Amino acid sequence: MTKLINTICPFCGVGCGINLKLDNNDQLMGVEPQINHPISQGKLCDKGWSTAYAITSSNRLTQPLKRINKKFYPISWDEALTSISDELQGIIEQWGSKAVGVISSARATNEDNYAAQKFARAVLKTNNIDHCARICHSPTVAGLKQSLGSGAMTNSAKDIFSTDLILVFGADPTENHSILGGHIIQAHLQGTKLIVVDPRVTRLAKLSDHHMQLKLGSNIALINALLHVIIEENTYDESFVKSRCEGFDYLAQHVKKITPESVENITGVSAQLIRLVAKLYSQSKRAMIFYGMGITQYMSGTNNVISLANLALLCGHIGKEGTGVNPLRGQNNVQGACDMGCLPNVNPGYQSVDDKNVQEKFSQAWHTQIPTSPGLTSLGMTKAALSGEFRGLLLFGEDPVVTDPDQNQVKSSLKNLDLLVVAELTLTETAKLADFVLPAASFAEKEGTFTNCERRVQRLNQVLAPVGQAKGDWQWLKALAKQMGSDQLNWSTTEAVFSEIASLTPSYQAMTYQKLDENYGLQWPCTNESPNGTAILHTTSFPIGKAQLISVSHTDVDEMPDKDYPLQLTTNRLHFHYGCGSMTRNSPLLERETPVGILFINPVDANHLEIHHQDGVSVKSRRGYLETRAMLTQDVPVGLVSMPYHFKEAPSNQLTNTAQDPVTKMPELKACAVLVKALGEGEVPKTIAQLQQESSHENLPY
Amino acid sequence: MKTYLIDDLQILQLHLSHYFQFNQVIKNSDGQPNWQQLLPNEIKPLIDEKPQTSAKGFFFAEQENLLIFNGEFFQETLPTPKAFVLFGMQSCDLTAIHYQDQFFKDDPYYQARRQQCLLVGLDCITPCKNGFCPTVNAGPGVRDNYADLILHPLGDQQWLVIEQSDKGVQAIKGLRLKEARSNALTKREVNLTHCEQLFPDDSYITQGIKKINAGNIPNTFWQKVAIQCLGCSGCTTLCPTCSCYGTRTLKQDNNHFSQQRFWDSCLYEGFQREASFNNPSVDAGSRVHRFWQHKFGDAYFTDFSRYGCVGCGRCEETCPGVIGVHSVMKRIEQENLDA
Repeated sequence: MTKLINTICPFCGVGCGINLKLDNNDQLMGVEPQINHPISQGKLCDKGWSTAYAITSSNRLTQPLKRINKKFYPISWDEALTSISDELQGIIEQWGSKAVGVISSARATNEDNYAAQKFARAVLKTNNIDHCARICHSPTVAGLKQSLGSGAMTNSAKDIFSTDLILVFGADPTENHSILGGHIIQAHLQGTKLIVVDPRVTRLAKLSDHHMQLKLGSNIALINALLHVIIEENTYDESFVKSRCEGFDYLAQHVKKITPESVENITGVSAQLIRLVAKLYSQSKRAMIFYGMGITQYMSGTNNVISLANLALLCGHIGKEGTGVNPLRGQNNVQGACDMGCLPNVNPGYQSVDDKNVQEKFSQAWHTQIPTSPGLTSLGMTKAALSGEFRGLLLFGEDPVVTDPDQNQVKSSLKNLDLLVVAELTLTETAKLADFVLPAASFAEKEGTFTNCERRVQRLNQVLAPVGQAKGDWQWLKALAKQMGSDQLNWSTTEAVFSEIASLTPSYQAMTYQKLDENYGLQWPCTNESPNGTAILHTTSFPIGKAQLISVSHTDVDEMPDKDYPLQLTTNRLHFHYGCGSMTRNSPLLERETPVGILFINPVDANHLEIHHQDGVSVKSRRGYLETRAMLTQDVPVGLVSMPYHFKEAPSNQLTNTAQDPVTKMPELKACAVLVKALGEGEVPKTIAQLQQESSHENLPY
Repeated sequence: MKTYLIDDLQILQLHLSHYFQFNQVIKNSDGQPNWQQLLPNEIKPLIDEKPQTSAKGFFFAEQENLLIFNGEFFQETLPTPKAFVLFGMQSCDLTAIHYQDQFFKDDPYYQARRQQCLLVGLDCITPCKNGFCPTVNAGPGVRDNYADLILHPLGDQQWLVIEQSDKGVQAIKGLRLKEARSNALTKREVNLTHCEQLFPDDSYITQGIKKINAGNIPNTFWQKVAIQCLGCSGCTTLCPTCSCYGTRTLKQDNNHFSQQRFWDSCLYEGFQREASFNNPSVDAGSRVHRFWQHKFGDAYFTDFSRYGCVGCGRCEETCPGVIGVHSVMKRIEQENLDA
């Protein structure tokens, strides 16, 4: 231990402070938590503790690669940039700018994401720019924007310790946002009421005062019944609703007939418990809602979010300490990637691409005309690639082949591209399909900022030199832009990129690197009026003036179980792994924790199907087939099975449904119908790669 | 063995830095105390703060190669460190090293580093946050023969330097130091006794240890506590007496490979799992129970002449699930175990 350098954990959206420990030879030995960090306060989760393994893998890419047929050959950066530039220009000349696009990364820095969207808009001249928020919190951005005017966590992590009741809705924070999950445990032990709404018996559900174990996709029915009780019993915050909200009368009318009794069948939750929770939530002095993918990853995702906003607004649990509607953002910088405008419909700072004033502002700032019509989403790009309308994609720090729904469709559409460029740490499943693979610098090898889920913009410090010829994302984008004859990305330092961000993104207006350093980061909006940032949003008014109570109705999930596919499948995450597993699975400890791929199944279902603990099983849906191992657990109810999506060997996205939220195109990852069978005795589950190889010789086993 | 009085600690620091690679706890830019190697011109005043990471990694490396195969031969990778000093180590961590010395008695990698080290202990004269070293006989004063030299602050920049081993005697040979008068050691005893009295009441820990050893804590208790074990490995990583490790083979393309060992944690489900999937501690409750049994069990007391816990309190500070030592012991106390 000879150097201890502070930076920010690269995993989830909590944004814990970590120190990286280097030995005498500048080798990364391990990490320790920052004891003074305002959120993590000397604690880390397992992923955080294993950071050293994540980035020191011997599999790291060290030089650009070019694929010729099925093999990769190392090439120089010069050759890579020249070839990519020529091919991009060729596609644009023949097919126009709409045929190219960029998918940036919620794991990369704000500076990298800003550079990515500027590259798309100012160099490629397209709004085809997106990132993985599409498949986690795009309904949050869309839903909260309509209800409140701003699509971010309304309160701060520290509010967990100044609330009377915490309502965790469709989220598993001890596994996915462990440090916040730990805060919730701590607050609960100190007397804060805890209510968990989840189809699975999560760790917090086991500790909670009340667990509403609702059926998949019945969020809106449940919330509407809560609203019904609160209005009927007159326990809502009348003065808040009068002075700060619109739409109450219509909402009251809308839920008038939605009694708790009327939704018992849809939700599986007893009317008695619904009445009790309505009472507890509405009568608490301060109550705080946290939610996650169990709200957003549905066809009804946007409406689910709106529903939760209705609940908080009706009770006046917003705009005050210890309250609010708080989405738990998945990736370390998913908030930042959204803030930076890596979305096809908004420029940095959520400034609409089709707004004339906005167009003028950015055209002037960048000294170039920018595209004026919304671009394609990431799924839109892959779809358009299938039909041949979209032909060239730059992608970094994401692995859609593993993480997006219906893996087979994603693969074939990426294969259909004329040009696929992937910048990555290691050769991920997506990178294997690329024409050019660029070696990316890891979070420890670059400077920049991440924005965590409580809107805190925090600085990273460079700890290590980039591995081999690896480059930071904005740096290679700058080099590529230059190769294409554009000096749009000609910054000399990462700080210069941030200064440009602050000048064009209203909520980042008063931020500087120095101020971020001095304050353990700053929470946006940080403007000339609020130079020290903002811990709680909407204290006196909403960005849209009055908040909107919007009436929404329950809809069934797209694919209900039937006789061919009798079980419902949902997805979950494991504490030990993160996303596609490309970082966490390098840790010998984390990799050992679970078999590669798991299906959680209730012992009653397992018994019925003659499946024993750890047996090999096959799982089949209308879209795909895979093999994995069964884990018998009471944590999932009868009729429901659950799979984590971290494992490329048994990717749950072979099975998941692509039915989408009409507003945000969020796929319904949380619910589909499957058929589960035991494999033959002693039969070892085959990986998807083995299965696919077999299927190239014969038909798939279904 | 003699005791000296020194009124400028820097003289001792500089002297040692001349003969040893010099390591001391300093604060980083964030105010976080940590062990750092310092060059003679970088030496800073000694601070009395517990580093978040103990010194165990100096001897039992977090990750290290045990051997490498170069395609033809196996090669040993025993470390060959220069002589180094850990200057100002507190009693809890010294006690832990004494414990690890026994555990790794026959481990050549550990011993190669340990032999090269001079331990300069530091008496604590005020309790630290979450610390309870007196309760487990690990402080606040450095225990006899756990360090090569002991420093004791007398106030007004005056320090006692107490020789504890030949290595310590040799290390300060050539320094002209004033021998302390006999009442100086009495003063040390008074200071340490006073410090012990400043520790908050922790009778729940003593009670908890008794209950753990009486074996009357039901499994259901541990299962309940273990819901809060997120399996983060923070406690075992920071615990100065935890010594579990795993090994793996790292293969390279060119037929070279290395056998690596790395810190492990008994709170992982995979730690005790056998290849057949059989696992003696398959549920989290039995793992958490096992962990505390290792820290406070009488069986370990017999083997090591002390408990496995040195009372540093680091587990309490780092546990996200609020089941560090204080929290667990308080729960054991509150739980009506006979019911």
